[in-house]
Amino acid sequence: MLLKKLFRTLWQYKAQFISMIIMVALGVGVFLGFNVEWYSLEVNTKEIYDATGFADYRVYSDKGFSETELEAVKAIQGVEDATRFLSLNVSVKDDTDTLALTVSENMNVSGILLMAGEEYDETDTEGFWLSDSYAAANGIGLGDSMTLTYQTISVSGTVKGLVKSSEYLICLPDSNQMMPDYSSYGFVYISPAMLDQAIPSLYRKLMGSLYHQINVKSDLDKAAFVEQADKALGSTRLILSKAETVSWAEAQGEVNEGKTMASILPVLFLAIAILTMVTTMHRITASEKTQIGTFKALGFKDRRILVHYSAYALIIGLIGTALGIGVGYWLGWYIMNPYGAMATYIDMPSWSLHAPRFTWYVLAGINVFLTLIGFLSVRRMLAGTAADALRPYTPKRMRHLRFEETKRFKALGFGTKWNLRDCVRHKARSLMTLFGIVGCMVLLVGGMGMKDTMDSFLDVFYGQAINYATRVNHDSENASLEEGKALAERLKGDWAASRAIQIGDKGYALEIYSVTHDKVRFVDTDMRIVPLTDEGAYVCARIARDFGLTPGDTLTFSPYDSDEHYTVPVAGVLDSMTEGIFMTEAYAARIGVSYTVSCVFTDETDIPEDAHILNRQSKQSIMDSFDTFMDLMNKMVLLLVLAAVVLGIVVLYNLGVMSYTERYREMATLKVVGFKDSKIGRLLISQNLWLTVIGILIGLPAGVGVLQYLLTALASEYELKLTLGAPTYLVSVLLTFGVSLIVGLMVARKNRRIDMVAALKTEE
Amino acid sequence: MAIVELKDVSRVYRNGEHEQRALDHVNLSLEEGKFIVVLGPSGAGKSTLLNLLGGLDSPTEGTVTVNGRDISTLTPNELAEYRAASVGFVFQSYNLIPTLTVIENVALVKEIAPNPLSSHDMLKAVGLADHIHQFPSELSGGEQQRVSIARALAKNPHILLCDEPTGALDSQTGVMVLGLLLSMARDMGKTIIIVTHNQNIAKMADTVIRVKNGRIEYCRNQEHPLSVEEVDW
Repeated sequence: MLLKKLFRTLWQYKAQFISMIIMVALGVGVFLGFNVEWYSLEVNTKEIYDATGFADYRVYSDKGFSETELEAVKAIQGVEDATRFLSLNVSVKDDTDTLALTVSENMNVSGILLMAGEEYDETDTEGFWLSDSYAAANGIGLGDSMTLTYQTISVSGTVKGLVKSSEYLICLPDSNQMMPDYSSYGFVYISPAMLDQAIPSLYRKLMGSLYHQINVKSDLDKAAFVEQADKALGSTRLILSKAETVSWAEAQGEVNEGKTMASILPVLFLAIAILTMVTTMHRITASEKTQIGTFKALGFKDRRILVHYSAYALIIGLIGTALGIGVGYWLGWYIMNPYGAMATYIDMPSWSLHAPRFTWYVLAGINVFLTLIGFLSVRRMLAGTAADALRPYTPKRMRHLRFEETKRFKALGFGTKWNLRDCVRHKARSLMTLFGIVGCMVLLVGGMGMKDTMDSFLDVFYGQAINYATRVNHDSENASLEEGKALAERLKGDWAASRAIQIGDKGYALEIYSVTHDKVRFVDTDMRIVPLTDEGAYVCARIARDFGLTPGDTLTFSPYDSDEHYTVPVAGVLDSMTEGIFMTEAYAARIGVSYTVSCVFTDETDIPEDAHILNRQSKQSIMDSFDTFMDLMNKMVLLLVLAAVVLGIVVLYNLGVMSYTERYREMATLKVVGFKDSKIGRLLISQNLWLTVIGILIGLPAGVGVLQYLLTALASEYELKLTLGAPTYLVSVLLTFGVSLIVGLMVARKNRRIDMVAALKTEE
Repeated sequence: MAIVELKDVSRVYRNGEHEQRALDHVNLSLEEGKFIVVLGPSGAGKSTLLNLLGGLDSPTEGTVTVNGRDISTLTPNELAEYRAASVGFVFQSYNLIPTLTVIENVALVKEIAPNPLSSHDMLKAVGLADHIHQFPSELSGGEQQRVSIARALAKNPHILLCDEPTGALDSQTGVMVLGLLLSMARDMGKTIIIVTHNQNIAKMADTVIRVKNGRIEYCRNQEHPLSVEEVDW
């Protein structure tokens, strides 16, 4: 019989129960979704790192490595395996595309995962194992012929396998590009045998070893490995750990970003879900008090009544959690699926979804907690004798508030006084309404502000700082400085030189610029375009933060492959895509750093052939790659806006109905006295609107705070400056007001159905 | 002069196939400034009659004319205006707004009534001038009922409709409240209509109406109604 009552009561309070279920589902969904996102990424990337032997360290040499040197590295204690490795950007013949031509002598390290076609054969001399994503974007299939060119050398063969590789998990041609663009850039593996055949013996004699990298699998920490490697190789080399590679750092960055999101948004949603549960369960048990008393008077034991009413909370928790798990997996899939923007960014073979184990414990904990809320609410109503329990719930007695003594208060209209006192009397309900509105605002400001910040970042960096039409990558290893400068002059462009340096024990880039044609510009931390002066080195914001540098401080760096140390004053801090330090050519010359031109920035689009030109990149192709990035961003913003609206509507409607129910009798009285429906409706809405105004006033700065927190958490990945456009403020405020007004109207409409006679007959 | 006229009034409640005739072809004429008591057993139709007079409900058939105006065909908004201007209600359970003080509960009618009277004066008239800043929950039942009478009077209505106004009060307080209502009729010329089970109250009435099974059993004028003190409570 009690079970029947349980279902009928659920039906009776369906609006409250449904909104609590939605809130729990939203809270669980957002919590699980973001955790599924980062954890699935971690699991799936680990799968490809393991399957393709992602290297822990990369040792670089301009001169290349001999087999003896490889053996010396392999002999280091703690080195599991190693390979000589080559990765070289080459052009696809009759096309403007670029491919990273890759050779790994030992495919157990930095190898490939075959997606289609023939197994890799190290003796094959005419087979390409091509990136399957590049092949798909360019309509290339197994068996198709290709010719790749590098300066005067060309390699021809057929596509024998379509593959993925963790070395190219995030396949970017350089650090200026944020998103891979497989239509113009990919990677291809060939066998060492094919490489030998393709490179003329004379060239090989002149150049020495073609393998400029040894990739190593080792559990040693970086300091230990560097020390051992330097000893084994006899000199200091540029050694980068996996954490300093794009394919690891960016993927881990995504994982960390997911963890950050999972630590902020779900807390907001879960907190609101739990608070909604507390207020609503209290209201429901309060209105059921006489029934609870009746059960007690009939002889039901307290325990049975407690179990019965706690079951409501448990049912809500279980249904909400079940729905939330669905929402969570959908959200995880929405952000991380093989058809979305994330797949354009990270080239993984598997997109299976996984939830971290702790999430299940948290979900179980949430259900226990929700049941406990129900339990405590009923226990309160059961207190005392059966006669006590039988008495209807009496709200707290009204007391005069301090501000009521003021003249201003006395002059207020009755509606204002009524609403003010109601807010104070039902503090929990008012606070929850505020919480809902603040939550709505935080999501809107946070979501749209993130987009504003990104838009402004992209606008400044790519709209203003990149003032060229084409970036020409120049062979800095084989061409002289004069040849590079001559090319820049011919193309009427500016140029840059890039060197790998070490600050402390971390690797960074040193970029030296010669800007005479205003083709490249620099951005300071306030997102203003600033010129580079000859007064010292400029550091990126991340280095400034990590080393605690401000203008006027000094900084010591050392180029790899050199024992020289340079101590330079910090002339300024820049926002930059590259994590590194920057200086003018004049300053570099003054301190005596050597360099050769690595790229030229020009407005020319028709670049003549030159033996030292590695490849060309149009500004448009860089910009196009952001479309996918912005697509991902837009999806996130849309999700947040939707979540904000749902949160706002559910919380406000639930509380609105609650407030309506609690004031039903008062409204019936007003109606009998002669108040019109419209006037009563206005009174109800005006309370909602006041709370909305207060909520907006709190929510705006709170949203900005949350956004700032997010940006700080993401600072290791992007150097972003918080930017909020007027439309974001306007839309956030209007949307929140809109939600509040619509919900207010929905609730206010109910007062037309107030049965004056029935309401006033009931006992208070 | 008749202030209230009911002509062939019926009120039928339908619940699915079931039909309940709460009032059945009732005809009634009541005079202004009188103290009128409506008696009858539970379910007889007393409250329905009161609801129709007060504009809380509309008849299924017939016309209800109050002060020369047919209120049976008014829209919900027009009925609200009618309630605001012409009638005051006093209920068994007081129905005060718990978040407003005594004076505020009375003064709230100023927001809607076209000719409101001074809230202070009304509270003084019901003997609550010293309690005006208290909340309803700080008053006794009788005091709360007096506030509700003050609120009803503050609208300066023609008619005061009281549904079991002493039902929740002890007899001593009930007598005081009745005395107050009677003086409203005698001193202020208001038409007071009281619905009650209590036969004793009828002894004070100028007119006694008995309702039974939705019909008027009788409507009798009393030439010598008793004063509150004369009734044996």
